[in-house]
Amino acid sequence: MSTETLTATHTHHDEHAHHEHHESFIRKYVFSMDHKMISKQFLITGIIMGCLGMIMSLLFRMQLAWPEESFGFLETLLGRWAKGGKIDPNYYMALVTIHGTIMVFYVLTAGLSGTFSNLLIPLQCGSRDMASPFLNMLSYWFFFTSSIVLLSSFFAETGPASSGWTVYPPLSALQKAMPGSGLGTTLWLVAIILFIVSALLGGINYIVTVLNMRTKGMSMNRLPLTIWAFLLTACLGLLSFPVLLGAGLFLIFDRSFGTSFYLSDIYLNGIGALTNSGGSPVMYQHLFWFLGHPEVYIIILPAFGITSEVIATNARKPIFGYSAMVISLLSIAVLSFLVWGHHMFITGMNPFLGTLFMYVTLIIAVPSAVKTFNYLATLWKGNIRFTPAMLFAIGLVSFFISGGLTGIYLGNAALDIQMHDSYFVVAHFHLVMGSAAIFGMFSGIYHWFPKMFGKMMNNTLGSIHFWMTFASAYMVFFPMHFMGLAGVPRRYYQFSLIPEFGIWVNVNIFITVSALMGGTAQLLFLYNFFYSIFKGKPATENPWGSNTIEWSTTVKHVHGNWHGPTPTVYRGPHEYSRPDRELDYFPQHEPGNGEPVHYEAPETEVQKSYSTDSHDKPSKVFFSSFAHLFQLRKA
Amino acid sequence: MLIFFLQFIKNNNKFAHNLKKAISSFITRMNTTTKNIFKLALVAIIICFAASLISKSVDIQHFNIENYSAEKPLFGADEYKYEAAKEVPANDAVASRIKWSLLLFVILLVLVLANAFDISALTSKITGRQTINSNNVNKWMMLIFLVVGLSAVAWEYVEHGKLILYGNASSEHGAIYDSMFNITVIITTIVFVITQILLFYFPFKYAKKEGRKALYYAHNNRLEVFWTIIPAIVLTLLVLRGHQTWRSIVYADMDGSKSTNIEIFAFQFGWNARYAGEDGKLGVCDYKFISGKNKLGLAYEPEVDSLLVELKAAIVADSLSIKNLPTTLDNLKADFKVAKDYQNDEACESISKEIEEITCGDRLDELHASINRKSKQVERIIAIKKNPKVYANFFTKTEEDDIITQELHLVKDKLVTFKFRSRDIIHSAWLPHFRVQMNVVPGMPTRFTFMPTKTTREAKNENGESFDYYLYCNKICGTSHYNMKMKVIVESQQEVDAWLKTQQPAFKPMAATPVIPAVDIKDSISIIGKDSAKKKLALK
Repeated sequence: MSTETLTATHTHHDEHAHHEHHESFIRKYVFSMDHKMISKQFLITGIIMGCLGMIMSLLFRMQLAWPEESFGFLETLLGRWAKGGKIDPNYYMALVTIHGTIMVFYVLTAGLSGTFSNLLIPLQCGSRDMASPFLNMLSYWFFFTSSIVLLSSFFAETGPASSGWTVYPPLSALQKAMPGSGLGTTLWLVAIILFIVSALLGGINYIVTVLNMRTKGMSMNRLPLTIWAFLLTACLGLLSFPVLLGAGLFLIFDRSFGTSFYLSDIYLNGIGALTNSGGSPVMYQHLFWFLGHPEVYIIILPAFGITSEVIATNARKPIFGYSAMVISLLSIAVLSFLVWGHHMFITGMNPFLGTLFMYVTLIIAVPSAVKTFNYLATLWKGNIRFTPAMLFAIGLVSFFISGGLTGIYLGNAALDIQMHDSYFVVAHFHLVMGSAAIFGMFSGIYHWFPKMFGKMMNNTLGSIHFWMTFASAYMVFFPMHFMGLAGVPRRYYQFSLIPEFGIWVNVNIFITVSALMGGTAQLLFLYNFFYSIFKGKPATENPWGSNTIEWSTTVKHVHGNWHGPTPTVYRGPHEYSRPDRELDYFPQHEPGNGEPVHYEAPETEVQKSYSTDSHDKPSKVFFSSFAHLFQLRKA
Repeated sequence: MLIFFLQFIKNNNKFAHNLKKAISSFITRMNTTTKNIFKLALVAIIICFAASLISKSVDIQHFNIENYSAEKPLFGADEYKYEAAKEVPANDAVASRIKWSLLLFVILLVLVLANAFDISALTSKITGRQTINSNNVNKWMMLIFLVVGLSAVAWEYVEHGKLILYGNASSEHGAIYDSMFNITVIITTIVFVITQILLFYFPFKYAKKEGRKALYYAHNNRLEVFWTIIPAIVLTLLVLRGHQTWRSIVYADMDGSKSTNIEIFAFQFGWNARYAGEDGKLGVCDYKFISGKNKLGLAYEPEVDSLLVELKAAIVADSLSIKNLPTTLDNLKADFKVAKDYQNDEACESISKEIEEITCGDRLDELHASINRKSKQVERIIAIKKNPKVYANFFTKTEEDDIITQELHLVKDKLVTFKFRSRDIIHSAWLPHFRVQMNVVPGMPTRFTFMPTKTTREAKNENGESFDYYLYCNKICGTSHYNMKMKVIVESQQEVDAWLKTQQPAFKPMAATPVIPAVDIKDSISIIGKDSAKKKLALK
């Protein structure tokens, strides 16, 4: 494993192909520089972090459902943090905080984007490895170290960071404001800074690889949508993570070196008036959300990319409106930098800014709507195969619709006055970002498992896993909308102290039971995943009949990805079910017989009936095309 | 269990062989009708079994039907123990039996399903045919999920829709707010239903069929333009309407001339309200003036002066304890020995913690920081007092008659402006019934103007006697965040006036400033200036 081979000519590589690379265990499995191994490392670390995050959520859900009851096993598990089997309020806050941090950064940023960017960018672009395998390796190990630092905060005497995953100062800046703001928050900040380093190293590598190392014929408009999504994600990360780095450094200064970036006019109980003056806590929020909002798209864009590929492959149809999909990805990426203020409508920010941020925020709904409609149009008249990956992709679209629509409420500055920080927000982002992105991740895992491990996962178990997870996610998050609308605030340790919330006791129990069910379903996945790695059915070269070029190489991983030269690409990634071909797919690397650059299928009867005639009025065309979606008119 | 079973089959080839033979002959002998009958019978047996379990466990005599009336749905009924269980404890036991039998039922169902899957997998392996077409199962699941899901959503809209706050706002702008909300609900619900139906119907309709080919249909620009423009138009309408609503709320009475000003003061973990007294003006406040007697930091000169004296005394005390650190350490060590002799582990632990604090220098740093803080505060207060212009801005004599309360009383149909101030960290004042929320940020004053339109009495008539308006904290602020609330009462002008009269003004004129021997700060600083204490510690 050396960088020289990567830059070597094809002939040089052919010589190498005869004998295997002999690598020590450490070079191959630990400090590996091979992008496929690194993606596996990201995935498995991500899965472990995801399990921890999920267990945390189950713990605090139990507290919310049965606030008066005591669970003996909690004391065994958590010790002094759950004396008498009841979780301590400070520990509850810590669980909420670390659950959020783990899920947002460690699972859905590193676990999702890290895994699939690493796996797919070289394989789908047709390059031998990442532009810089060494940076790639560093990226993983920074991420790993960061995970360890974050988890180590559970062993701090004052507990982990507990001021919410946004760690707003002054709560997080004042060590005496709550126990979690002591050593726990320092560790949190260190972990996040290490994480940012990892994200930046990864991001720059992804961008360079996509832009410079595509194989012959792989022009930008032939890129699979996954690669477009990863490219834009990496750009978002590269531009926004440094801002969080700055925000975090300032917070460290405020905490440990006595500066006043975020602190002013504070009198703390038991300490007295502090000397800090002139800072602004709202400035932190601006800096945080300047990352925080693009971060949401850093999470969801890769999931979109994966979904696009999976839906096209399994519906056996070209994705509807490839260029519209790319444009909507682009516009979402650009707009995501201009909307951070919608998290801050009621922080006391100038109301005029509120109106501006509201405009831009609701504009984002347009490209998002386009994406949804394009997915629906792709499903229409397909020949749909329900692999687990496809099921999860459909689940993603469903969550994205449900959660996206509530975004229209929250993006509206006026409506946000009441809904801000209520359970409505919890429901909204868990659907649109949490569940949707995790479904994208599952979809990717089921789809590219054969590529990663050379084995197949069990489809029946996958389907059961999907339906259980899907149902339980809706059962958990849908009722939360109504709780929020009834005025239940988020991040409350228990509701039984406020009589008005008594009516939600039943619903809270229902949610927790559903969450436990969802948690159980993940055991199926874990079993399926780890069992299949070792004992799964061996995979074939192209098990899904897919067009993209990662399936053109051998099942067994080879160093440099392809024996011999990298494949040449002749067409776009979505040539499924072309009328001029017998097979319902047409791999990108398969040479055609003098076909035109832009293939337009001969119009079928159906298409003819609503194809745009210049004499037709636009309204007529519009309604006739919808009539077709519902099949109201006979073809 | 299943795994053990499979392992067992694997290990006993003979047994497995016989079993396979038996199953395959069984399957081949059955035609589809008998198979279906078999399945139905299995399900019927399970249901009968479960039903018998439940009916046995439900003791009719103890089942008090009144506690399960229409307003309290049967689902999860056992959890009404907060109200119901105290009166009729027998219900608890009944409910728990229901719970257990349900759990048993679910376990049974899972086992049966697992067995069914197992058998089908085995048979498909043996016969080489697929007994279950998973594509078909998933296809039908799509439709089932769509129907069940949409009906569940409809149920939620009806049942939980009753519980949400919208439609009966207790403030003037709340009505505008609610209409904005209603419009958004209507639009989003329509889009939600249509898109979800399409999303689940298409996979059902166009599920894979052998021999069929998907339609090659890569794009239709006109269609795409249409579904870009339509959302754009709808969103523009929503944005314009939202813009209007937002402006009418946040720009209400900006100069504060038409409304009564009330200060809402937040601290870890509670709220105070401050009313202007008889002069109708709120006095000036500053965090530097906060003391035990002056919790809001009013610029009341006698109190500020006594704070200065207190601070100076505290500085002296701190510097003395720095001086005495070595002695304290010796005393602690002696205490530790005593505690050890008496085998008092708890005392040992706490004392050793203190000793560690001193020996590693934490205590010293803390004391230095405390002196630094206090002398800075003294300096700043003196600076305010020395500059006549600043002095005039602070000490306006309007604060004496201010009224500080634990409850918030508002006048019906009268504009009120909240001026928010936080003492320590960010809180958020949320009055959900009035559609009012604003963050309370230390060092940055915020405001909110609105008009309550429904008295507490009227709201109680609508929602029941136990109802009360509350102001909640809605920004994570520490350990007791979940219990940081203030009661809000809306009344007529006369009632509020009468209530205010019963409250004490913040400060009555004081007799004289208590005289404590004042020590100059410079003296105390000179004491700590020498690092003698540190050196001594280092030697130890």
